[in-house]
Amino acid sequence: MAEQKKTITFIIERQDSPTSAPYTQEFEIPYRPALNVVASLMEIQKNPVTKDGKKVAPVTWECNCLEKVCGACMMVINGKARQACCALIDELEQPIRLAPARTFPVIRDLLIDRSVMFESLKRVQAWVEVDGTWEVKDAPIQNPYTATTAYEISHCMTCGCCLEACPNVGPQSDFIGASPSVQAYLFNLHPLGKFDKEKRLNALMGKGGITGCGNSQNCVEVCPKNIKLTTYLAQLNRDVNKQALKNIFNK
Amino acid sequence: MINVSFYLRRLHSLCGLLLLGGVLVEHLLTNASAMGGPEVFNQGLAMMEMIPPPVFLGIEICLYAVPILFHGIYGIFIALDAKNNPGAYGYSRNWKFALQRYTAWYLVAFLIWHVGYLRIYLKGIMGEHISYALVQSVISNPIVFVLYALGMFAAIFHFCNGITTFCMTWGIAKGPRAQCVVDKIAMGLCALMCLLTLAFMFSYIA
Ligand code: HEM
Ligand code: SF4
Ligand code: SF4
Ligand code: FES
Repeated sequence: MAEQKKTITFIIERQDSPTSAPYTQEFEIPYRPALNVVASLMEIQKNPVTKDGKKVAPVTWECNCLEKVCGACMMVINGKARQACCALIDELEQPIRLAPARTFPVIRDLLIDRSVMFESLKRVQAWVEVDGTWEVKDAPIQNPYTATTAYEISHCMTCGCCLEACPNVGPQSDFIGASPSVQAYLFNLHPLGKFDKEKRLNALMGKGGITGCGNSQNCVEVCPKNIKLTTYLAQLNRDVNKQALKNIFNK
Repeated sequence: MINVSFYLRRLHSLCGLLLLGGVLVEHLLTNASAMGGPEVFNQGLAMMEMIPPPVFLGIEICLYAVPILFHGIYGIFIALDAKNNPGAYGYSRNWKFALQRYTAWYLVAFLIWHVGYLRIYLKGIMGEHISYALVQSVISNPIVFVLYALGMFAAIFHFCNGITTFCMTWGIAKGPRAQCVVDKIAMGLCALMCLLTLAFMFSYIA
């Protein structure tokens, strides 16, 4: 049995430039136990020859941490958005199909530009204001239960799986998606961050905000960090509704 | 005013659940009375005709025509915001999300036909009197029967799944357990309303 040479087949959707047309190529690499998609792509990079023997430009993709914390390696693997570094070959059906996450602009092959997520984080003010004229004393005390929730949400690595899987995020709509919305909630939970809660909620009520969510719940199914996105989206819905009443009656 | 789309979207949701949902339930119950025979059904219609026509027309316009035009037209824009993907992500909630939109498209066509023919053309223009016999003659055509049944199923599913999404949109059901319970109750109601529809529709042609 050990003599038999096992191989893995990949069908990869490639694209030479942001504007050129996509095409697919097939690659075959020798099997190794515990191989993952990123390691396989590295194998292809060493010897970029297609299954039918044509030498081609190596496949481009992005990765960093190789342990599901940086978010960089998100791509569509066998039809679903996920992190390539923790997609184990042994658990995937062959041939393995790789494609770029087209919710985002494609730079080349599997490499995408996720900067729209960072723009959205700026829009909802996903940070805590610390610089000011006030005295900076000890860190404020945190409710440990709230901190547990905050810790869970802070695992978000801006990978974009939840945006790629969301039917309402894409060129056809202006919805910012689950991750940036829920990050606004994270900073609303913070003892200092909550001073700007109203600002964040108003941003979420604006164009592309939380009303863009249509409750398909794909985001919570695909989030590699298991963040309870739909629970926090529902909480945010409560919060923006209350804010709307305040906007109407308190001003 | 600022955040116009936020308020419009919330109005769309309220309008769908309370006004259109109310109309659907009323419609279903009135029609179900046909199971008691022509007399019961016609009696129900006669009760409604006791409301003076101008008042009735006012109710029809305010509680039905305006809400459905707003919900329907704005709903088309919302549906166009989605790229349905249950093929790639075949989770139950994602299927329901897609079905909410597929039923919406069917309802646009069905309601134009149904309201346009029965209410506007037959009753409004031809001055025809809506009665058991009239409904019976309309749905005794097998193709019309099937299209009407599908129209009812579409509206019922759209309304019942709408109850679930309403509870999410308004932050009523927050956690996964609460959302799952609402979903099950809504789908139970959906099955019940569909069965009732089949029962009264078959009673016309039996
Ligand atoms: C005329 C055609 C119709 C169209 C195009 C349409 C479209 C839509 C769309 C796209 C949604 C999803 C909204 C969202 O995700 O935020 C929706 C929700 C809903 N619709 Fe309709 N609809 C129509 C007719 C109806 C009818 C007849 C009813 C009542 C029986 C109804 C009741 C609802 C309810 C209760 C919701 C849920 C609201 C929510 O999620 O908050 N709709 N509709
Ligand atoms: S629940 Fe909302 S944010 Fe999450 S995938 Fe569905 S539409 Fe997108
Ligand atoms: S919420 Fe989850 S899926 Fe979305 S970007 Fe963050 S880690 Fe990725
Ligand atoms: S390389 Fe960092 S998440 Fe995959």
